[in-house]
Amino acid sequence: MNAEYRFSGLSAGYDGVSVLHELSGAIRPGVLTALIGPNGSGKSTFLRVLAGLLPCRGTLLLAGRDLRRMPRGELGRLVGVVPQQIRMASPFTVCEAVALGRLPHQGLTAGRSAEDERRLLRAVARTDVEYLLLRPVTRLSGGETQRVMLATVLVQDPPVILLDEPVSAQDPRRTVLVFSLLRELTAEGRTIVAAVHDVNLAVAFADAFLAMKDGRIVVDAPISELDGRLLQDLYGASFEAYISERGNRTWHVATDVRR
Amino acid sequence: MKVDFLKVDLSDSATALREHNRIVRRRFGRLAAVGLCILSVVVFRRLTQGDWAISSSRVLELLSPFLSEAERATPEAIVVRSVRLPRLLAALGTGGLLSVSGAVLQGLLVNPLAEPYTLGIAAGAAFGGALGFMANSLLVGPCAFAGALFALLAVQTIAWRSGGGRERLVLAGIVVNAFLSAGVTFLKAIADDRLGAIVLWLMGSFAGASPGAALVVWAAAVCTVVPAWIWGRQLDAVSLGEERGVLLGVDERRLRATLLCLVSLGTAAAVGSFGIIGFVGLVVPHLLRLTIGPSHRPLLILAFLGGACLTALADGAAQNLGELPVGVLTSMIGGPFFCWLLLRREANR
Repeated sequence: MNAEYRFSGLSAGYDGVSVLHELSGAIRPGVLTALIGPNGSGKSTFLRVLAGLLPCRGTLLLAGRDLRRMPRGELGRLVGVVPQQIRMASPFTVCEAVALGRLPHQGLTAGRSAEDERRLLRAVARTDVEYLLLRPVTRLSGGETQRVMLATVLVQDPPVILLDEPVSAQDPRRTVLVFSLLRELTAEGRTIVAAVHDVNLAVAFADAFLAMKDGRIVVDAPISELDGRLLQDLYGASFEAYISERGNRTWHVATDVRR
Repeated sequence: MKVDFLKVDLSDSATALREHNRIVRRRFGRLAAVGLCILSVVVFRRLTQGDWAISSSRVLELLSPFLSEAERATPEAIVVRSVRLPRLLAALGTGGLLSVSGAVLQGLLVNPLAEPYTLGIAAGAAFGGALGFMANSLLVGPCAFAGALFALLAVQTIAWRSGGGRERLVLAGIVVNAFLSAGVTFLKAIADDRLGAIVLWLMGSFAGASPGAALVVWAAAVCTVVPAWIWGRQLDAVSLGEERGVLLGVDERRLRATLLCLVSLGTAAAVGSFGIIGFVGLVVPHLLRLTIGPSHRPLLILAFLGGACLTALADGAAQNLGELPVGVLTSMIGGPFFCWLLLRREANR
């Protein structure tokens, strides 16, 4: 399935206050797109619009069809979301919560099949939460909850995965694990969009980036075009490039943050 | 860019998953068996015991659908078939319905304090019933049902007009509850000689339950329990938290509207016929979640069994204590028990 997003004149907001202003562009499948920008630039709102969670004006097509006219059940099969704020309200065990990812694919009266369990086990292994399998989701740390959500999305098996700061609570090893997994999912031809604050993660793992500022997409380009001048314009801070012994370039923010 | 630590042996987690499934199935089986045993004892005792002791074999004979017309007219048969059986069925159906309704609402509204009366349904029924007493005591049931429906409509309208969402629903329920409770107090203040009847009815009772009323409450129970069980996994997703259901392809708005209507109509039918029987919808689901977990499909079946047993037991006790209102007993047992549950949960944190 060619799960490409196409959007033009896209505006959205909350309580009559516009947050996104006339966004236009496309997000291609088989590409890991990093969504970068300062706080309040509209990244999370944009992801909510792409997930069909927030009403919007303009044109928004997914796989050539108007996303807003898709039934909720079909959206559940097409789009998986790892949100920024995750508060689990019921003490389901991790295996029960992750298994719910199969819900969009199951009939009303169906239970959990052997195939569903096979997918579940594969997902918890890939996200490194198998040691939590029998723990209630209400007793997980922030990072564990994020990975359980990612495991649920893997079980959901959608062609589009949207992630809002998926590693904000991960330790360095799990950060690499999550982004390595996202690269694998991208290689499977899925459309992956991840909002990130760490530009070095974007540089290391993403193929392309969308830079947002004040509710607008200011740059839509391959990740190789991300440079210090753009970062300075985006975040209002100086960035310095360091080249490691392996030849990898990383960006470090200078301490003279503009006010 | 693949990394080796993504390739993990699945055998251990597969064993853990199998063990988890086995434990859940075993717990459900045990609880269902205990529930059915209690139910059998309650049914047996409620049909055989009373002011007029009738042996169990005779009760079985009298309940036969092939009983002759002459035997149906005997006092024994009338007591069993027209008094004890409708009362027992009414208590079982109402208890099961209220308990399932509580479990559904707690999941649907992601609110552990939600129960059939949270949304103002009981206050509406109480107001309607009290109005019925003021006009004509024959109108109490229909007026209570109409009052419950009015409360439901008022809550839905206020919630919808104020932006929708489950928090608005609960808030609207609190407002409607307060307003209609004040109305009931006003009616009691001007009721004169009908005050006693109103107060007694408000406390709930199955004494004098008719076969028709028992049938209505069972029909309402079936119309609530079956759809709720079918949508059990959708309820699981919704109860996980904000937007979890939507992200997993559940049409939350439609699910909420449908189940709220079914639960409210069922509760209205029960309250309209038998008055307010509190705490069943709160205590039973919470107690069962402690053992079976939050998964709705097994929970709903056990909640029906548990609510039915608790209410029938409370009705038996109420009858033995000189026909006390059963609502008083369920609240007296339920209140302290719910406190114990809260304290236990806090201690386990």
